[in-house]
Amino acid sequence: MFMVGDGDLVIPGQLIGENVSCLDNCFMENNRVYSMVFGMVRINGRVVRVIPSLGVYTPKRDDLVIGVIINVMEGSWIVDINSPYLCRMRGEEVTKDVMNKNLSKYYDVGDRISAKISFVNEVNSCEITGPWKLIDGVIINVNPKRIPRVVGKRRSMLEILKKKTNCNIVVGQNGRIWVRSDNFDNVKLAINAIKRIEREAQSSGLTDRIEKMLENARRS
Amino acid sequence: MVKQDMKLIVDGKRLDGRRFDELREIKMSVGVLNRTNGSAYVEWGKNKILAGVHGPRELHPKYLRDPTKAVLTCTYNMAPFSVDERKKPGPDRRSVEISKVISEALGHVAVLEKYPNTGIDVFVEVLQADAGTRCASIVAASLAMANSGMPMRDMISACAAGKIDGEIVLDLMKEEDNFGECDLPVAISPRRKEIVLLQMDGKLTREEFKKAYRLAIDGAMRVYDMQKKTLIESMKIEE
Amino acid sequence: MDIETYLKRDYITNLVKSGRRIDNRKLDEFRYIKLERDYCDAKAPGSTLIRLGNTKVLVGISLDVGEPYPDRPDEGVMTTSAELRPVASPIFEAGPPREDAIEIARVVDRGIRESKAIDLEKLFIEENKVWIVFIDIHVLDHGGNLIDASGIAAITALLNTRMPRYEDNTIIRGEWDGKLPVSCIPVPVTQAKISDKLIVDPCLDEEYAADAKITITTTDTINAMQKSGDGAFKSDEIERAVGVAFEKAKEIRNIIKKL
Repeated sequence: MFMVGDGDLVIPGQLIGENVSCLDNCFMENNRVYSMVFGMVRINGRVVRVIPSLGVYTPKRDDLVIGVIINVMEGSWIVDINSPYLCRMRGEEVTKDVMNKNLSKYYDVGDRISAKISFVNEVNSCEITGPWKLIDGVIINVNPKRIPRVVGKRRSMLEILKKKTNCNIVVGQNGRIWVRSDNFDNVKLAINAIKRIEREAQSSGLTDRIEKMLENARRS
Repeated sequence: MVKQDMKLIVDGKRLDGRRFDELREIKMSVGVLNRTNGSAYVEWGKNKILAGVHGPRELHPKYLRDPTKAVLTCTYNMAPFSVDERKKPGPDRRSVEISKVISEALGHVAVLEKYPNTGIDVFVEVLQADAGTRCASIVAASLAMANSGMPMRDMISACAAGKIDGEIVLDLMKEEDNFGECDLPVAISPRRKEIVLLQMDGKLTREEFKKAYRLAIDGAMRVYDMQKKTLIESMKIEE
Repeated sequence: MDIETYLKRDYITNLVKSGRRIDNRKLDEFRYIKLERDYCDAKAPGSTLIRLGNTKVLVGISLDVGEPYPDRPDEGVMTTSAELRPVASPIFEAGPPREDAIEIARVVDRGIRESKAIDLEKLFIEENKVWIVFIDIHVLDHGGNLIDASGIAAITALLNTRMPRYEDNTIIRGEWDGKLPVSCIPVPVTQAKISDKLIVDPCLDEEYAADAKITITTTDTINAMQKSGDGAFKSDEIERAVGVAFEKAKEIRNIIKKL
C-alpha cells in the first residue's frame, strides 16, 4: 500500500508505503519503506525508487566524466572529477614504458579530459580510462542530478542543443559540460540553454521550449 | 525597575500577546546561498539564522578520515551584532557546547556510511538572536542538509518550552528566557518522536517537566510540518 | 584553487578581449544591487544586508562606551573588522581572520575614516569616556568583489545607525536617542585588469581570471586606494581608473540616497 504517488516529492524520513520493496535512496523498517533523501518518488509495480533532486556526484562504472588533472605522480595522474572522491588514471593509458617516460608530456596539471570510469572500489575511489584531451571551449558546472535531463530520452535534448547552436558539446555525468565553437555567441547560447534546462528540469514540454528558444535566437 | 519584579504574564497573556501554547512567527526557505552544497534560512520570532552545508567533500588532514563513514561536524557561530551587547568574534564556550549538541543530533539521522572517507561540514550563523537560537539553528541545519541531498533517515525538528510566572509555556522569547524559571529545548526525529537533543536549566517538578516536555514535542511536530512544506515548495518555484 | 573558477578563466579572458563579459554587462557596469537597511534592527543599532550580484554581505554596527586612544583623548573610536564566514565559500575556514579578511576590513575602514564620514570628535562624552563604533562585516556569500559590497553596506548601515540611550553612566540597551552623525558617503569602486582592459565590479570568476585589482574610494575627493593581486598597472590605467571610480561612486551614492 502506498502513501504517496508516482511523481510526488518526498522528504527524508517520509513514509512511502507498506508491504512494498525499496530499491534506491530509501530504506525499510518494520515492513515500511521510507525515503532517505529529498526527491521524487518513482513507483514501478510494488518497487519504489527515490530520485534525489540534489547531491554531489559519486563515481559509477561506465560513466563518462570530465576531469581536470591536478597531480602527476610516478606512473599515474590524479584527476579531479567534481566529486568528494579522487580519481586515478594509470600511465598505461598512454604508454607501455610508464616508469621511464615523463607523464606530464602527455597530460599535465590543468589539462581537461573526458574519460570513462573503469573501476570504483568500496570507498568510492575510482579509475578512469580512454582519455580525450579537451582543448579550447569552456566547461560549466551543472547539478549532476540534472544531467539526464540535459541529455534527454535517447539523447534527444543533447542532439537539439548541438545542432541548433553549432557547438561541440560533451556532457559529463559528473555535472560538467564542455562546450566549444569558433563563434562565442554560439557558446553563450548553448550555455544559456543548458542553464535553463537545469532550472526547469522538473517541468514537462521542456524539449519543445528549448527548441523554440534556440530557433528564436538563431533568427535574431 | 528591579528585574525580579518583572511580570511575564499579564491578564492571562504573555508580554508579546501569545497564548501559552502558541509559537512565535516562523518563516523558512532553502537554497539561499550559492557556494554551499545546501543552505537554509529561518526567521523564528526575532531570531535570524542562516545554515550552510559543505560536503560530502574531501577531508583534510587525512588522519581524520574514517573509511567506514563520513565525518560530520557542525559549527554554531553568532555574529558580533546579533545580540544587545556586541559579542567579540570567535567561538566562546556556549557556542562550542551548542555546536556539539547540534552535531550529535544531526549525526543520529545522517546516513554517513554512504560517503566513507569524506567530511560533511554544517555551519550555522546566528545573524540576530532572541532566545531559542539552538532550536532554530538545528531546524535550519537539518533543512540545509536535506537541501544538499544528504541521505538522512529523518529530518530533525526542535522547539523549546519553559516556565514563566509558574506557568508552563511554549517557545520562550528573550525576556521570558532571561526572567523565567526554566528553559527546556528539545529536538526530535519526528518519524518516531525520538529525542536527539534535550537540555534543561531551571527548576521543575516532575509533573511540570512532563507537561513542558510534551508541549515542546508538540511544538517541534508543528515546526516539522513547516519544514516539510518549505522543502516541497522549493522545488515548485523552479517551474 | 577553486577548480570551477579555474575552468572558466580562459573563456573569460577571451570574452573581455572582445569587450564582453560573462554575464553580458558592459565593462564599466555594476551588477544588480539590493540594499536592505536595518536588517538586524531588533538588536543592532545599525545594519545593512547587501546583495551585489551573487555576493551577500551583512554589516552590523554596534556601539559601546569606553576609553579613547591615549594620543586622541577628545575623539571617539571607530574600529572595523571582517569575517569571511565558511558558508560564503568552500575555501573559507572557521578561525581568526586571515589576510583576505583583514585587507577588506582595513580598506573599508580607510575610506570611511579618511573621508571623515564620522566626525569622531562628536563621539566625545566626557573625560575618558567616548563612544566606540564597531563596524562588523559578515560575509555570507562570496560572488566576487567583497570590498565594494562591504564598503557600500557599511556606509549605508552607518547612515541609519541609532545612538543607544546613555544615562547615569549606563547604556540602556533597546532604547535610542538620536542618530549617529554621518556627513558624507564614501563609496569604494573596484576594477580588475584582464588582458589590458579594466572591468568594474568583477564577479567571482572574473576576479580569478584577473591579473590585478584596484579599489578606489571617493567622496568629492579620493579617500582611499588599494591595489591588490600580483599583476601590475600602467600609470595611465590608474588615472583612467580614478575617473571611472568617481563616476560609478556617484551612481551608487544616488542609489543609497534614494533608500
